[in-house]
Amino acid sequence: MVFGPRGSAVGGGRRRILRIQLLALLPVTLAALVNCGYQYYQGMAFLPGFKGSDLRSRLADFLSANPQTPGLYDYLVAGVSHVLPMLLLALLVGGFWERIIAERRGRPMEPGFMLVALLFVLLLPGAAAFSHIVFGMSCAIILGKGIFGGEGKSFVNPALLGIAIVQVSYPAASALHPLWNGMAGYAGSDAIALYHRGGEEALGQVGIDAWSAFIGAIPGTLGTTSLFAIALGAGLLLVTRVISWRLLAAQFIGLLLFAGLVVAFGEPSADPRAMPVHWHLLLGSFAFGAVFIACDPVASACTNPGRWIQGFLIAGLLVLIRVVNSTHPDAVIPVLLLVSLLAPLIDHAVIAWNIRQRARRHVHGHV
Amino acid sequence: MSGSIDFETRNTAQLGLLGRDYRGVHFELLCEPGDQVRAGAAVMRDARRPDILFPAPAAGRIARVVRGNRRKLVALQIEVDASGDCAEYAAPTGQDQAAQRAFMLASGSWSSLRTRPFGNIPDPATQPAAVLVTAIDSEPMAPPVATIIDAFAAEFSAAVTMLARISSAALFICHAPAYRPPFDEASGARCKAFAGGHTAGLPGRHIQALCPIGFAGAEVWHIGYQETVALGHLLLHGRPWAQRIVALSGDAVLRPRCLAVTPGAALDELLDGEVEDGPLQILAGGEVFRQPLATEPSFLGASQRLLKVIRAVAEPAADDMGALIPGDWLETNAPPGIFAVPLMRALQLGDAERARELGALELVEEDVAALSRVCVSNSNYGLLLRQVLDQLEATY
Repeated sequence: MVFGPRGSAVGGGRRRILRIQLLALLPVTLAALVNCGYQYYQGMAFLPGFKGSDLRSRLADFLSANPQTPGLYDYLVAGVSHVLPMLLLALLVGGFWERIIAERRGRPMEPGFMLVALLFVLLLPGAAAFSHIVFGMSCAIILGKGIFGGEGKSFVNPALLGIAIVQVSYPAASALHPLWNGMAGYAGSDAIALYHRGGEEALGQVGIDAWSAFIGAIPGTLGTTSLFAIALGAGLLLVTRVISWRLLAAQFIGLLLFAGLVVAFGEPSADPRAMPVHWHLLLGSFAFGAVFIACDPVASACTNPGRWIQGFLIAGLLVLIRVVNSTHPDAVIPVLLLVSLLAPLIDHAVIAWNIRQRARRHVHGHV
Repeated sequence: MSGSIDFETRNTAQLGLLGRDYRGVHFELLCEPGDQVRAGAAVMRDARRPDILFPAPAAGRIARVVRGNRRKLVALQIEVDASGDCAEYAAPTGQDQAAQRAFMLASGSWSSLRTRPFGNIPDPATQPAAVLVTAIDSEPMAPPVATIIDAFAAEFSAAVTMLARISSAALFICHAPAYRPPFDEASGARCKAFAGGHTAGLPGRHIQALCPIGFAGAEVWHIGYQETVALGHLLLHGRPWAQRIVALSGDAVLRPRCLAVTPGAALDELLDGEVEDGPLQILAGGEVFRQPLATEPSFLGASQRLLKVIRAVAEPAADDMGALIPGDWLETNAPPGIFAVPLMRALQLGDAERARELGALELVEEDVAALSRVCVSNSNYGLLLRQVLDQLEATY
């Protein structure tokens, strides 16, 4: 296509965009599988008395070749046996509601629920209860897109809505389970919570350094740990122009800026509040949220100035909550939800400003 | 040498004037089928603005008048003869506005001017806020603007001088950065280069950049570069330019190239021996803006510079109409300065007021053609825009 942007939607339509989005999540999913298994065995070492009693632990133990000195195979098998049932359940629940909605509306089923299910599962901890998945996916499909008329019409990413509802509904859901390692319910999370409690020292004690955080060998919600895998997916989404580079750039520049300001003018560096910029990126789910949730083309601002504003707003709010509110060390989900709700307002303001500018520049008729 | 160009010439025995090239005109025939007409002599006029005349592109006999729904004129077909009779027009002696306009009206060149908003033929009694000469074509495979204008440099320059005098408003020549057309600086015309993708050649973009309209009833007039050359030809030689340069492209065309053809040439004659056998689809326009042509009768449109012939493909199973998915690719396919997604949403909803605020009055179908191509919602924004424009025109 001569005039179209590279990989534009020409000739492919929505299904093509969906395929690209799913493909971009492939590296993240693979990283999630391996890391989930790795964290499972790491957690087992911390909880020697733990005997896997739920379906997923039993499946992992049954399939493992060498649980005492686990290797890559065991990690992968443990990961698959944890993630696959969750994903299948999420797909089943999502497909069920999607089917009902499609039948009620007399329209063909929209395939987008697969993306919602995958994103939803990747934002859960590896041991999330099945009931939470059923509840969250139902909310995601019905409240996130069904009642708005389906794909392209919702104003919040459905997976984000589902996760937010689960997090709010089960704030204290922390079983004594290896895959809840270091987490207090959904709200607190993982490695970034660890940093908040004890800074880099605490991370060092459990063997987390910048490299392991980059490749994703750290505890956290499934898809959000590996910055490397997320970067691969982001590259694909940017090259095919499914997401706006402006929105993505605004979020990362904003994070550098605001987190840098906190470090420069904040309290002494021993205080976890003055978390260096690179830890903001490496720990927690900022990178995942920025690429796969915030840049959702439908639920983000649709004007270029609006995209810059939205990106900076996300970054500013995120750093603010991380610094000021220690009960939300990660804060990505509430921030994204809040700013996503603001996106239409941002667009509205940008358009109103643009119309005023145009009206000022217009040419009067002579007649 | 000025006044000739070495493109392969293709003359056809049948010509036609198409009604759909002139929006909103109620045609009144000045001749009957069977009459002999001279090239450049008026064959039709606008019933409501009788000053606006439509000349025959070549000498010949009126073969038939095709009418469609509600007796709307579809085409006026002329059988070309070898006489070559030509109406002569003397260039105006005066420099005043009235003389210039009278010349353009009498010779029929007035009908090649277009207005924004709406894309009509301007009312000779009104004044524009600006006049634009579109000396740029950003469609891929379009005829080479620079070659054509250079070959007719004197004509182009003479026409620019005249266009600068038809109103007191500024005259802008919109051109590609690589090519600045020759014109007489004393005419007061100003040049403006436009770069950047296939939107660079759209009058909608030029108006948006040079003199945005839409808030106070202003009107901008624009004219294509070949129409400008034709006007210059009339001025310098007294007789109409009997050629238009058209680019042939598309995967079913045997030898894609530029041809010098008679204005309004019959397409079946034009394409004879140029295209593959088999089911074909003939499109007016190029990669971005194109419309399928009716099979009967089909003639070259008044401002059509591209002819694309593709192998007819089975229409892909029509995807259901869906919601539009915003993205960067939409912005790059809209004129800069116009918010694509809000405009597209306003068009989908038929929100005329919002569309006007977002710049719809500066646009016509061709400006949003690319949006229809890249949007996943399968909406035809050209159609939606015209509906909105019709609403706005009723109260303008």
